Amino acid sequence: MTVIVSPGGAIDPGAAPARSTRATLRRNFWRGVWRVLRRKPSRMAGVVIVAVFALMGVAGPLLYPAQLPRDDNALYAAPSLAHPFGTDFEGTDVLALVITGARYVLLTGLATAVITVALGTLIGLVAGFHRGRWDTLLMRLTDMNLAIPGLPLLLVLSTVWKFESPLEMGLVLGILGWGGIARAVRSQTLSLRERGFIEAARGLGLPTRHIIGRELLPSMAPYIAMNMLIAVTGAVYAQVGLFFLGVLPFESNNWGVMLNLAVFNGGALTTPAALPYLLAPLIAILLLTLGIVLIVDAMDEIFNPRLREE
Amino acid sequence: MTAHTAARHPAARDIEARDIAAPGVRIRDLTVVYKTPSGELPAVRGVDLTLAPGTITGVVGESGSGKSTLALSLLNAVQPPGRIAAGTVEIDGLGDVLTLRGEDLRRARGSQVGYVFQAAQNSLNPLKTIGKQLLDLGRSHDVADLRALVRDAKDLLARMGMDGARVLDSYQHELSGGMRQRVGIMLALALNAKVVVLDEPTTALDMITQATILRIIREVHEERGLTTLVITHDVGAVAEVADSLAVMYGGRVVEHGPVTEVLGDAHHPYTQGLIRAIPRLTGDLSLARALPGRPPTLGTLPTQGCVFRERCERRLEVCETDEPMAVNRDGRTVACHATDRHLTLVKRKEFV
Amino acid sequence: MITGTGITKVFRQRGGLLGGREVRALRGVDFAIAKGGSVSFIGESGSGKTTLGRIVAGLETCDSGEIVIDGVPMSSLSHRRRQPYFRRVQLIHQDPYSALNPTRTIHQALEAPLRLRAGQTGRSRSWIDDRAEELLAMVGIDPGYVLPRYPHQLSGGMRQRVVIARALTMDPEVLVADEAVSMIDVSLRLGILALLRDLRERLGVGVLFITHDIATARYIGGDGELYVLYRGQVVERGATEKIIADPVHPYTQSLLSATPVLHGLERPGAERVVPREMQREGLPDGGCLFARRCPFATERCESEMPVLGRYGGEGTPAEQEHACFHPQRRAVIPVGVGE
Repeated sequence: MTVIVSPGGAIDPGAAPARSTRATLRRNFWRGVWRVLRRKPSRMAGVVIVAVFALMGVAGPLLYPAQLPRDDNALYAAPSLAHPFGTDFEGTDVLALVITGARYVLLTGLATAVITVALGTLIGLVAGFHRGRWDTLLMRLTDMNLAIPGLPLLLVLSTVWKFESPLEMGLVLGILGWGGIARAVRSQTLSLRERGFIEAARGLGLPTRHIIGRELLPSMAPYIAMNMLIAVTGAVYAQVGLFFLGVLPFESNNWGVMLNLAVFNGGALTTPAALPYLLAPLIAILLLTLGIVLIVDAMDEIFNPRLREE
Repeated sequence: MTAHTAARHPAARDIEARDIAAPGVRIRDLTVVYKTPSGELPAVRGVDLTLAPGTITGVVGESGSGKSTLALSLLNAVQPPGRIAAGTVEIDGLGDVLTLRGEDLRRARGSQVGYVFQAAQNSLNPLKTIGKQLLDLGRSHDVADLRALVRDAKDLLARMGMDGARVLDSYQHELSGGMRQRVGIMLALALNAKVVVLDEPTTALDMITQATILRIIREVHEERGLTTLVITHDVGAVAEVADSLAVMYGGRVVEHGPVTEVLGDAHHPYTQGLIRAIPRLTGDLSLARALPGRPPTLGTLPTQGCVFRERCERRLEVCETDEPMAVNRDGRTVACHATDRHLTLVKRKEFV
Repeated sequence: MITGTGITKVFRQRGGLLGGREVRALRGVDFAIAKGGSVSFIGESGSGKTTLGRIVAGLETCDSGEIVIDGVPMSSLSHRRRQPYFRRVQLIHQDPYSALNPTRTIHQALEAPLRLRAGQTGRSRSWIDDRAEELLAMVGIDPGYVLPRYPHQLSGGMRQRVVIARALTMDPEVLVADEAVSMIDVSLRLGILALLRDLRERLGVGVLFITHDIATARYIGGDGELYVLYRGQVVERGATEKIIADPVHPYTQSLLSATPVLHGLERPGAERVVPREMQREGLPDGGCLFARRCPFATERCESEMPVLGRYGGEGTPAEQEHACFHPQRRAVIPVGVGE
């Protein structure tokens, strides 16, 4: 005797077929993401901003010749149609500098974010899930990481290391920065592992790999994604700051280098002529941060099926 | 038990003789809507409910029945995205609660309408002792004599079988679930409110604790001459404590009457089904069965016709199109086409 | 067949200057669940009933005593070797809202354990999807509707059925249902209970039913056994219907007396028992555990601890054991108005 409980309620027209394949799930997910982003204009604005920067990073350097043209007749030129943000001390277009400089900045940010999040999540998950000795060991490691004075260490490092590649820079910033995420992920894991579905998975004898990768991780996805995005901004600030301080050699075109030159060479703080040169990278950083913050707002809804579907 | 049973059918004049102070509450045509992505949907729709002075009224409903929303309306405390769209809630000596605003409303809460929140055991401040919270409550309502307030509170706690002084010195984590529940009731009564709303007062409590709390509610209610509303999903709990029983489904009161009559001879198919579905110590196992289908949610409520028809075994054609009117006869109210078809039709003609 | 003998568990609470306090959650509990049988443990919070369920499901270990599954004592096996045995005991959680991962569809929730099962039993991949549909149909829900959905799209009753279906993926011998209906809407509770009864009959699955509401134990099906647990001790044991009709332990009687009476349909029993005080922590351990609250306690009860057995008493039913020096039948349960 089996009574089939009829669903009772209305079935939404877009219901997937009974056997949902991975492909349909993925498609539904991206549809959901699109729906979430469209819900608020601010989120779309964030996406557009970040997309523009991503485009700059990918294609920016291809738009200009390797050696940007200089116009010796127009040093510190005022903004004009030809030079929307004016020119620098050598007469190079500031906008071109910003655009070509984006790649290094963004690549560093991305590399840092990936490394901090990967390390932090892994360490936090393992510590929180296994508890006991692993937890103690990993958390002491985390404490040590948090205790490293980042800036002085970078200053010392920069004396021996040129950071020619943005990935090298990202690697260093990433290795220095995972502590906070590890702690947060650990506490999330500790509370999640008491939840019924984790215990059920253990009762079913599902492998630890499955429990961590398929049950715990997706539940923390919004959190991890948010941290990742915020880590990007953090990394951008950190490296721009380093270049601005001038502790790193100016091997490449970079927003931080621009700031440094604008302030210390151009005297942007005293003479209005160099002001656009100073403002351009600042605005770029501001816009990038704004774009990321606007997107962060959507993360909760993107990774929570209930909020995504509604 | 005898006092309890005797109080079950109090003639109106007895109540007046005993305590004139107990106020009556009249809810008229109350509609509360919630804003959702698919528009404003009614969680409570066109509810008429009268709480006779000095009685305990039980409101029973499953998830999505709108019972908690109804309780919040009594305090005019529906929070966004909810909004009271229509209706009045008249409380004797206070007027229409729904027109109160700002400071008047804040004063009314606590001093005239006491409220024990759902999961009262979790609604205490973990960082302050119970006594401190009591004093905060007193100060925020400008109680002149705080000593008297504390004395009253200790008396109340003692009534409920607790060491008042010790409890007031405790933090919430030092109290068991049953104790916190009683502290919640004490806080709701401390300012001498005459109308008391208890939202799920015994949920998550053990059987013996539940029985004790229900007995205490009954005793305090009678001692203080209150008008009490108990909101719960548990028919048994209401049966133990209430004089009259209102059954809610899909935001409507579908049946209302004296508790023994509603349980002993339910008219509405939902009430009948619900009673059949309660696990009981007595009764024929083969007659017991769950209601088919599932309780409605805001989104799945039908927009026309009877809200219960999809789970109803007695549905008629008219149920698909017309919402049944609440028909009152012999002190009992039922909203069902099948129960009293003739009367309903007559009633509708009058309204056309 | 799963048996437990002398199961004890002590929790040490941390805190306090004196280094914490010991709480004896279980004090030597014996039980046996036959194939397709049902055993109900009734008790209030703090009775140890949840701990017992978790020990039987292998989610916790006992301090002493032995769990025997299919004739194999678990204490003789290493942690790793125990796993396949405990997999035959599946726990149904009280809260169907937290028992399913909100980020995974029902299909995913069933697929993972089924894939594991397919590997163990050497079945093909296509079996997984068929089996998922079969199990959902078995628990009474429409697979086509449920499989692609996320938990939040289902009602509490449906979720609990999915949880039961997921437990069945392991072809368990026993389902441990810990307050399995307490968070389900009242109108749907009997449906879940009837499902458990149905699974017993159709699949021969044993059910260990844990609840604070005695009335629900009646609906798990016939020839069930009822254990009344109080502060870690079984104080009364016997056939479910017998104990409910003829309880002799004052604690059992208190529990039954506290079950709400549906006035109008029922009248309260004539001899309802109300404990002298409410349950609290720190009740003394010497003598009968219930003595302090028991309205009928004598001096003997204060000093000597009764063990589960038969202490005679006026008309105490045969085959019903109790841990009380003064067993006495009392009319505590409600009487139907028509009777």
